[in-house]
Amino acid sequence: MGVNAKQIQKINYFSKVSEDLCSEIAKVVKQKKCSPKTTLLKEGEAGDTMLLIFQGQVEVSKNMMVKTSSGFTMSTKSIIRLETTDPSPANKPITEPTVSVVKAPAFGIGEFSLVLDNAKRTSHVTAMTDINYGIIKLEDFSNIVDKHPSIGGSVYFEVAKSAVNNLATATQDISNLTQAFFFALAK
Amino acid sequence: MDTNKKAEIKFSSIDDIDKKIHANQVLYDQLHQSLVDEIVSKDDEAQKKEKSRKSDVSKTRNFLLKFSDYYQSNELFRYALWGFVAVFFSTTILTIIEYPLFSGSVKDDVGDGFMFGGDEPNWVDTFFHTFWWAVVTFTTVGYGDVSPETHLGKLLTIIIMILNLGIVTMLTGAVSSVLVAARLKGDDTLDETKFYGHLIIAGWNPAVQSALRLIEANEDSASVVILINETEEEIIKRAVSGFDRLDITHLSENFTQEGVLKKAFIEECGTFMIVPDESGLLPNEKPDEDKTVLTALTAKSILEDIQVVAYILDEEYISHLHRANVNEIVFPDEHIPHMLAKHVTDPGVPQLFDELITQEKQDKGIQVVSIPKGLVGLTHNKVSAYYKFKNKWLLVGYAIKKAGFSLEEQMGESGSPIIRDMIKEQLDGAGIKLSSDEHVIVEINPDDEYIIDGKHKALVLR
Repeated sequence: MGVNAKQIQKINYFSKVSEDLCSEIAKVVKQKKCSPKTTLLKEGEAGDTMLLIFQGQVEVSKNMMVKTSSGFTMSTKSIIRLETTDPSPANKPITEPTVSVVKAPAFGIGEFSLVLDNAKRTSHVTAMTDINYGIIKLEDFSNIVDKHPSIGGSVYFEVAKSAVNNLATATQDISNLTQAFFFALAK
Repeated sequence: MDTNKKAEIKFSSIDDIDKKIHANQVLYDQLHQSLVDEIVSKDDEAQKKEKSRKSDVSKTRNFLLKFSDYYQSNELFRYALWGFVAVFFSTTILTIIEYPLFSGSVKDDVGDGFMFGGDEPNWVDTFFHTFWWAVVTFTTVGYGDVSPETHLGKLLTIIIMILNLGIVTMLTGAVSSVLVAARLKGDDTLDETKFYGHLIIAGWNPAVQSALRLIEANEDSASVVILINETEEEIIKRAVSGFDRLDITHLSENFTQEGVLKKAFIEECGTFMIVPDESGLLPNEKPDEDKTVLTALTAKSILEDIQVVAYILDEEYISHLHRANVNEIVFPDEHIPHMLAKHVTDPGVPQLFDELITQEKQDKGIQVVSIPKGLVGLTHNKVSAYYKFKNKWLLVGYAIKKAGFSLEEQMGESGSPIIRDMIKEQLDGAGIKLSSDEHVIVEINPDDEYIIDGKHKALVLR
């Protein structure tokens, strides 16, 4: 069973692309399945593919230094969970979420790879349920964009939008952390 | 030539200013008087409204509230009240049911004595007679001079006597428990109802007496004071005699202990003051200031919001007190270099300080007064004019209660929740509080356009 244009269109980056062109994209997407606990992306690894999650729940996590009773250790801290709603996951997640779960019809992850050559993955992505996903290569995507430049505009606009939003949040985070830092130093 | 001209101009301009001032004086006064009037009337109105609203409802409400409080808190009162209700109730019932019987036996019993009804007993006599029977029954005395005779009367009496058994048992229990509790508590437990917003002074040295005298003079300040120190009762008694307004209690215990502070209702206090403790010291011994820091820590650990003022003699302890989150630190040595230097550089300034600080008369010196509501939101020059024209006070500046900085509030909903949670979690884990305490800052002689808000209090020179 291949990937169809409707599935592609559910992903927000491709929502503005016409159905005809989505089916062009669908042709180069390699469909895959995996079981829970599979690591889909690894932090720090270079990658030239973007993943399209069609069905299931994944957890995004990062390596962080945390303070525990025995001192400082590096540990993986979950940041967010993403869950598809159309269709919703086929089974229950293996662990209960400790962070907020963001829901959307389908997700694209690793979108930086559509912009940068060999972009480094910024966080871990782990499957929490059975996952139905697709892989799209930067090379294939570039070829389509060359053929149909109109795709590029709308997709890159969406990618840019999400990047700008992330940047705004990150700026706030830095300001919060700076305040907390001064607060802690003042004590 | 030129200089003459200039001088002339100067003269004329000063004259001019004088003239202008004179011409405007009336207008100026009116302007300010109207400002004062407006604000005063606004405040008066608000107060009147509040008062009239209060007085209507408050009397009966207050009484009911007090009554229900007393009922809730006093076991003895509760059972006695129920006992009374039960006696009264059974009297009424029996009077109605056994009227002929009780009314007949009144005459047998009383004989030629006084009766409300004259020769024949009326209902008052009968009711009282039944009441007598009810009390005799309830107290389990049971003279037996009167007793119900009909079946219905006896049946009711059985019910009453069984009910009565319960009430009497509980009343007896309450009486004994009150007695036992009173013995257990001893004499040193303070009456809880009196202590709210009071001043606690931990430690004793001669400065305390002078401080109390100044507090006594200001009628707006708290009047209930608890002294905690282990100085001899005699010395304290002598020191605190002669205070009229202040209600001073002495707890002769170790104030570094949490239990002792709680006994002084520290959670409810307005200000907790710690002074270098000279209790039991020889004349050349120095007070142990570790105790001050320890007490500050204890107080803050009981309740973070307690307003703690610490008086310290040794500079070394200041950083410790800061770390204990003490609200205000009084360190007199800090002022000495300034005083000495000012005698050289600005003679008169130290004398001014002396005059201002040591002024003990109630209506003189620098004081903090609340700003009338009508003035909130206005600029400094208007507020200043208000005090000048209304009370002839000089407005020196403002004492501003600054809310503590709260990191949580500051962060709000900004950034990603995961980072906010992590900050909270990590700071919490490190024992760092996410907010700092409320404290008072002073703003002296601000710009005319400086806006006064509700957190300001006026520092006036009277």
